[in-house]
Amino acid sequence: MSDSEDYVVRTENLTKSYGEFTALDDLSIYVKRGTILGFIGPNGAGKTTTIKILVGLSRPTSGSAYIAGVNCSENAAKIKHLVGYMPDKFGSYDNMRVREYLDFFGAVFGIRGPERAKRIDEVLEITHSAYMQDKFVESLSHGMQQRVGIARTLLHNPEVLILDEPANGLDPKARIEMREILLRLAAEGKTLIVTSHILPELARICDTVAIITGGKLRAFGELDEVMRRLCPMRSFEVQLLREADLERAADVIAEHVERDDIALSPQERILRFPTAHTEEEMATVLEALVSSCIPVAQFREVAGDLEDAFLSVAAPGEKLQSASS
Amino acid sequence: MFWQNPLFRRELLGRLRSWKTMAAILAVALVSSALVLLRWPSDSTVDIVSQGSMLVFRPLAFALSLAVMMLVPAFPATSLVSERKKGTLTLLLNSPTTPVQIYLGKLLSNVALALVLISVSLPALAACYAMGGISIRNHLGPLALVLVVMAFQYTALGLWISTRSSSTDSSLRWTYATVLALAVLSMGPLVIIGNLSGITATVAKWLTAVSPVSALQQITGNQAAAATLGISTGWVEFLVLSVLISLALAVVTIRKLDPILLDRARPTGKVIGVTTKKSWLRGMAYLIDPNKRKSGIPGWLNPIMVKEFRTRKFGRLHWLVRLVAICAIVSLLLTVVAATGTVSWGVERIAGPLVLMQVALLLLVGPSLGANLISSEIESGGWQILRATPVSPLRIFSGKIMSVVWTMLLVLLATLPGYAVMSFIQPAMSGQVGNVIISLLVAVCMVVSISACISSFVRTTAGATATSYGVLLALFAGTLLIWLARGRPFGPIFVERVLMLNPAAAALSEMNTPGFESYNLTPTAWWIGALISVGCLALFAIRIWRLTKPD
Repeated sequence: MSDSEDYVVRTENLTKSYGEFTALDDLSIYVKRGTILGFIGPNGAGKTTTIKILVGLSRPTSGSAYIAGVNCSENAAKIKHLVGYMPDKFGSYDNMRVREYLDFFGAVFGIRGPERAKRIDEVLEITHSAYMQDKFVESLSHGMQQRVGIARTLLHNPEVLILDEPANGLDPKARIEMREILLRLAAEGKTLIVTSHILPELARICDTVAIITGGKLRAFGELDEVMRRLCPMRSFEVQLLREADLERAADVIAEHVERDDIALSPQERILRFPTAHTEEEMATVLEALVSSCIPVAQFREVAGDLEDAFLSVAAPGEKLQSASS
Repeated sequence: MFWQNPLFRRELLGRLRSWKTMAAILAVALVSSALVLLRWPSDSTVDIVSQGSMLVFRPLAFALSLAVMMLVPAFPATSLVSERKKGTLTLLLNSPTTPVQIYLGKLLSNVALALVLISVSLPALAACYAMGGISIRNHLGPLALVLVVMAFQYTALGLWISTRSSSTDSSLRWTYATVLALAVLSMGPLVIIGNLSGITATVAKWLTAVSPVSALQQITGNQAAAATLGISTGWVEFLVLSVLISLALAVVTIRKLDPILLDRARPTGKVIGVTTKKSWLRGMAYLIDPNKRKSGIPGWLNPIMVKEFRTRKFGRLHWLVRLVAICAIVSLLLTVVAATGTVSWGVERIAGPLVLMQVALLLLVGPSLGANLISSEIESGGWQILRATPVSPLRIFSGKIMSVVWTMLLVLLATLPGYAVMSFIQPAMSGQVGNVIISLLVAVCMVVSISACISSFVRTTAGATATSYGVLLALFAGTLLIWLARGRPFGPIFVERVLMLNPAAAALSEMNTPGFESYNLTPTAWWIGALISVGCLALFAIRIWRLTKPD
């Protein structure tokens, strides 16, 4: 029980059905305070359904969800104070300036007078948005709107932030800024649930990941652990000094791994191969190359990424829409 | 030819496949057939002076022109602005299609659809012709010309406004406002001021010719009634002016379709936080400095209401002050007219147009505000965020409704001085004036509640705005159409019952406006209006409650 008390977000056998269609099937996840959960899945996987249940906008068919010990469907009013929710659609209002926009949401959350003004200054500062406070919301660029969206979710100082696709459509600079903001919030003790299609981006900020497809949880745990579990084969690259040595090097390596798994790239003077060998066994491979008088420029492991992990659990045909981005 | 124009084909076929088009065609066919059936002579004697056919033809002609006014501008008003917002206009402008082809594709497809609408009334018109006394040369031909030219003019108008607007709902609002101004308000100077001379008389006469009413009065043989209002122009003048207006609008719209002209800078959002000499001067000029940073929403105010005010251009205090000032000036002008002309005209002459203008203003402002309340919030994605906040459904309901009610009351208050002067001139009229004000308040309640209710059911702003205008025009103008067909087939009791749905008619009968003297509409019309309002508000509240509940 003490473990479950550490978890600020908890779902237990969460199921949501719409008639005969099951959008979410028996989902159980736990998120520790001050950590970032990357919630991954293709379109229609059940991410938004889960988020809506957590925010109190949807009721589960069975199972339960808790945020800071409060049941999300039974006490939706309290949940709204505990959670800051940023949907994938910004939700702008015409003719409203950024400061007025934040002032409105501050008032809706019941933050009074001078305290509200102070809080608006704080969240603008946190999200580096102070310079745009007099701009009209609808005239902001997408990246600016996302920052204002985060500022809005922070207004009432919630324990948990749920951000649906915060990096979607952002340019590289805006993505870096977004990443910094999210990491800073986690460092300040906020718990974040972030969905994204851009997996390399998520891999850089997440402590834990949950991979969901077809409404079912396929993998869940700390990022390294999930990666190890889903991608047990490590990928290695050997770059030689001379192209002429490629075939000979392949023969040497083939004594340790399957010959068919070794791919040659003559232009790059590189050999690539997957392996489940330990560090010690890989040291033997390097030693064999050196003792065969093959000059090696580089011998390195290529880090696996979330995309590989996702693809290893996704059913054929299930792809992340913008995984390549 | 134009059939080769890909835009023409896409727009026309796309719209012909829509159920909304089918519903509009069916509605026009049903109404025109019903009018003929109801008015078909059942006497055993033959009407050789063709009174019977004219009694059928007259409401039919007005009903058809009302249908063109209501249905034709809706699509072009949203067409270009929605293409721009979706980004498809850029694609079109970057294709070999020229701005003229784009314009003609949109214009002609809408006019073609209007022709389909008009053509479904051909059997009804043929029946009028068969009754005798209606000729193709003097009646059916001119009517067809007037309707087609109306379709051209309102389509051109909608397209022009669509290039200038930033959102579909504002485009729709301005288009209907302009159509209303062209059709009704253009007759104002001549009808209200009356005996003019010199250049002002010529201007007022040609201004009247902009309205299809003058053309229809002539075609339907109502010159006598038109003459009592001071109207002397006919359908030829209407055609000439409408063609000229349509051409002018076409030129400016095609010019506007240049990609460079469409490339607008984002608003800079210049605002100052401190008072300077410049801001003081601005404050003097606008009464409220528009560039001064707004203070936070006070705790005692409903934030939803404040948000509603701030998100509309006319909700900003400096715009609201301007709007009220314009209303007050117009009202004061009417007051001057009333004060100088009442003795010779009789109060009812000025009271009728005054009531109609006030109702027109309420009908213009009300639906555009009320129809946005929920639909625009859902469309922009703001509703999802609002649902995730602790704000209660009751607060949303009261904030949304009060934001429209306050605006409407301000507009109404600014138009009241005319009545004050009337009461001053004829103190005996104080009671009547009081009843007129109550009728107008009931009208406000109906306009607000009906459009708010529609906004909670229709998920797009443009759809909600168009539906609200349609329903309210049917209620306020449609009942007057039945009044126009009084005597045959509609008996006085039926007409009185129908008019009870229309608080504007109640106001007109209170003022003994010609044609309304015999009806006793108050207080029943007030109760009916109140019941409709309460029903719509209850529905609105239930919808808000349901929309805020978890799925």
